[in-house]
Amino acid sequence: MLQNYFKIAIRNIVRNKVYSAINIVGLAIGISACILIFLYVQDELSYESHFDKADRIVRIASEIKNEGQIDRFALSPPVLAPNLIQDFPELEHVTQLLEAQKQTIWYKEKSFNEDNLLYADSSFFDIFNYEFIAGDPGTALHEPNTIVISETMAQKYFGSVDKALGEVLTFNPDLYHVTGVFRDKGHSHIKANAFLARSTFDRQRQDVLTGTNHWFNMNRYTYVLLKDTSQIQPFQDKLKAFVATHVTPWIKENNLNASMTFILQPLSSIHFDTVYRDDITPAGNINYVYIFAAVAVFLLLIASINYMNLTTARSAKRAKEVGLRKVVGAYRSQIISQFMGESLLITLVSVLLALALVQIMIPMFNTFTGKQFESGFFLQKEVLLALLAIVVFIGVVASSYPAIFLSGFKPVDVLKTDKAPKGGNAILRKTLVVVQFAISLIMIIGTIVVFNQMHFLKNRDLGFNKEQVLVIEIPFGDSTLIQQIPGIKHELLSNPNIEQVSNAQDIPAESLNNLLVFAEKDGKTLQNSMNVMFVDYDFIDAMGIELKEGRNYSKDYQTDLKGALVINEAAARKMEWQEPIGKRLELLDRDAKVIGVVKDFNVKSLHTNIEPIILALVLESPGYLLMRIKPQNMASTISFIENKWRSHYPKHPMEYFFMDEFFDKQYRAEEKMLTIFGYFAGLTIFIACLGLFGLASFTAEQRTKEIGIRKVLGSSVSGIVILLSMNFALLVLISIVLAIPIAWYGMNKWLQDFAYRVELSWWIFAVAGLGAMVIALLTISYQALKAAIADPVRALRSE
Amino acid sequence: MNKEELIIETENLQKKYITDTVETTALAGVDLKIKKGEFVAIMGPSGCGKSTLLNILGMLDSPSSGAFRFLGQDISKATERQRAKLRKENLGFVFQSFNLIDELTVEENIALPLAYLGVSKADTEKKAREAMERMGIAHRRNHFPQQLSGGQQQRAAIARATVSNPSLILADEPTGNLDSVHGREVMSLLSELNEAGTTVVMVTHSPSDAEYAHRIVNLFDGQIVTENLNVRRHATELL
Repeated sequence: MLQNYFKIAIRNIVRNKVYSAINIVGLAIGISACILIFLYVQDELSYESHFDKADRIVRIASEIKNEGQIDRFALSPPVLAPNLIQDFPELEHVTQLLEAQKQTIWYKEKSFNEDNLLYADSSFFDIFNYEFIAGDPGTALHEPNTIVISETMAQKYFGSVDKALGEVLTFNPDLYHVTGVFRDKGHSHIKANAFLARSTFDRQRQDVLTGTNHWFNMNRYTYVLLKDTSQIQPFQDKLKAFVATHVTPWIKENNLNASMTFILQPLSSIHFDTVYRDDITPAGNINYVYIFAAVAVFLLLIASINYMNLTTARSAKRAKEVGLRKVVGAYRSQIISQFMGESLLITLVSVLLALALVQIMIPMFNTFTGKQFESGFFLQKEVLLALLAIVVFIGVVASSYPAIFLSGFKPVDVLKTDKAPKGGNAILRKTLVVVQFAISLIMIIGTIVVFNQMHFLKNRDLGFNKEQVLVIEIPFGDSTLIQQIPGIKHELLSNPNIEQVSNAQDIPAESLNNLLVFAEKDGKTLQNSMNVMFVDYDFIDAMGIELKEGRNYSKDYQTDLKGALVINEAAARKMEWQEPIGKRLELLDRDAKVIGVVKDFNVKSLHTNIEPIILALVLESPGYLLMRIKPQNMASTISFIENKWRSHYPKHPMEYFFMDEFFDKQYRAEEKMLTIFGYFAGLTIFIACLGLFGLASFTAEQRTKEIGIRKVLGSSVSGIVILLSMNFALLVLISIVLAIPIAWYGMNKWLQDFAYRVELSWWIFAVAGLGAMVIALLTISYQALKAAIADPVRALRSE
Repeated sequence: MNKEELIIETENLQKKYITDTVETTALAGVDLKIKKGEFVAIMGPSGCGKSTLLNILGMLDSPSSGAFRFLGQDISKATERQRAKLRKENLGFVFQSFNLIDELTVEENIALPLAYLGVSKADTEKKAREAMERMGIAHRRNHFPQQLSGGQQQRAAIARATVSNPSLILADEPTGNLDSVHGREVMSLLSELNEAGTTVVMVTHSPSDAEYAHRIVNLFDGQIVTENLNVRRHATELL
């Protein structure tokens, strides 16, 4: 019996090549998109899952309320850890991480500027079970000046993992002994190339850490391993009392008008938690995971609808077979299983085709998602299970309607040719077409809106000029670098293509220092936290920031270094100064007067509003060297800069980037969304049109006699084409009406993420709707025209 | 007439179709008894209810009222599943338009009823081959229906109807789509089957086809108006 079903299925697929191709190609595209998005989503959701104790690990984040302003930090103060250990014996381990600056590391002749370096203590590996390829995690970070490096880093410096252990890496000014190598594996918000023994830092920087018992000194990431998961809530509750005992007295002692709360973040939630600032790696956006998953489901749905529609539409062709099978004694259940089996077969063929498609698309997909999926991916258990789920979903769910419909035929009705059924429920089929086009339209509108917004983000005036600014990183840790800055600046300016050079510790789109300031207000002193950028004399001019009132820093004023500050308009507003020039402002060791106010400029992405900023003067500092260069002869200008760098800093590799690209990197998630939306909007409309094409040919076939009669009675070809197209055009029109409010709602919501955004103008909807209509009509017109120009006599004779 | 010998017995069989406002009576009280081994022809003008009667006898349709016993078992209230079971075990159908499945070869079409009976592969092959040989179409076994002439298609259809050795064959104008030569061929095949013991009930317009039957039932406006024994057939049998 199975063999019989199989034969019929295969012969049907082969005999109806166009319909089979529409079904199989459509499903294969839908399935391959689903597979890719499944991989992406699975990858995004896999953060921290490779740590055995992940469910028992929590991070302690901090919230500080200060003068009505709330700051939420992923960070916590160093003093937290010893107090936790003392107060909470139920905690299995407590550890703190501290970010190290990007710096140059040497090994023999090799040197690299190394990022993602973290200071850790020896209990870190008790909590996070990194897989050690060499060394002992139990003791690796016990001694000062020890370092545990990643497999990749070991390869880079020593050529192989085996040679790494016991070697010495030269930092400036320290030497670090490699005591361990860990395997790069899994995703974690802790992105580390190496862990340095924190005892080294603590020993060196005792002087700097004057406030070891300073509770607002936010520079550590504190992780706690609980004995079991049920302790999370009780521990969170107890932290209130903890704050009351330790922090509140300290706040009173220091006369601060503030309060502090500690919040537990379960490890698995950290990656998608966007609330806390200054995280080790920027948080992911769970909404994008949802959006992508929805897109995948939609694509699959559209392809399944094609299957359902074409199968029921063409059911008249199968009616006789069903009738006959019943006559010879088939039960209805047997017929249902036959049709389901057929769709399983089609799905299976589609899955195989989809796997082939995915193989082809994986490199491209990796490029735009920034992930590294391998081609053998589908051998994992999860993917195979997902594929099975897809096969069952389409094979059973999508086929159940056609199967139930077809198996319901009465032999008495279908075996007489003049009573053959007219191809199922046309209303249901039309509804499904409307659903398909509505989804496609939403995707198209979404793509246009995202594209528009991206264009807007990249081209909006930020208040400074990000174009044509080349930035070189000056690594921390090597004081000889700083001494050379005046010299290299001078030499760079000798090139006529380099217009301006500035040295700054901070640049836009980098995380800024948030420091406590004391400001004069009506004879009183108010305390505030404020973003501070440390810059040199030339920064404001070089970046094209406009001065609104007062003056820029000048070498003519000796007092500018410690006694003057420049702020932006937002800072003046925050301080509620009507006339900011001359107001007193204390910051770190400076007791200064405001000498200038610059116009507002965006230092952060346009997701956020302009923030108050203080531009504080430093003479030379590690951080960045910024150059405004002319667009002419860029290659030779860059090689000139490289030469100058090499002559001044022969031991340090030069790493540079362009300010505009660097700034726009903040929109990477949106960029990703645009790409995925773009591709997938194209695919949805393509699959929907495939279905429409199939339905149009079915309709034309079904109405052959009517068309013949109309032509005999004098209808023109165009009259027939319009007749056949009208029905479908109406469906597309309905879907436009349905899609617009949904798309408007969704995209409006998406735009709320941005402080600066485009308007949702009517033309976006008009263009999308018109586009969909034109594409649909073109699809139908082929079939309509074919039917309209056919010889009417033949159509009528065949009856 | 011995009751045990009856294969079909209907009493006051009625069938009404109700569409929107119009009620059409297709059968208005049919009493019919058919013995095992009989060859009955049902005749009458278009729309007299012949096909409706045949469909009910073939358990493809159910009566609106009245009793219908098949082999003594009342099936007027049988479920679709029970009827399907009775159908596949006892009945064979021959249609005017052959109704072969286009996607299956001649042999596969003929073997289809056996598949639903759960017959083993070896038995299926054997029975299908025998049926094809009986109908003289074994040389066409691997062809698809469209590749056959009308007569050949109808012989394949009869082979399919008889492959499971049913006790009753229902034929709905079996020669309607055939020329006279092929029509006679089909009729003699049905006759041979009947002589071998199978009961045949046939709906026909053709008086010459009706000549092959033992008994001719004339239907008019949903009622049996006359029932005639076919003297010639009885005479030949007596010889």
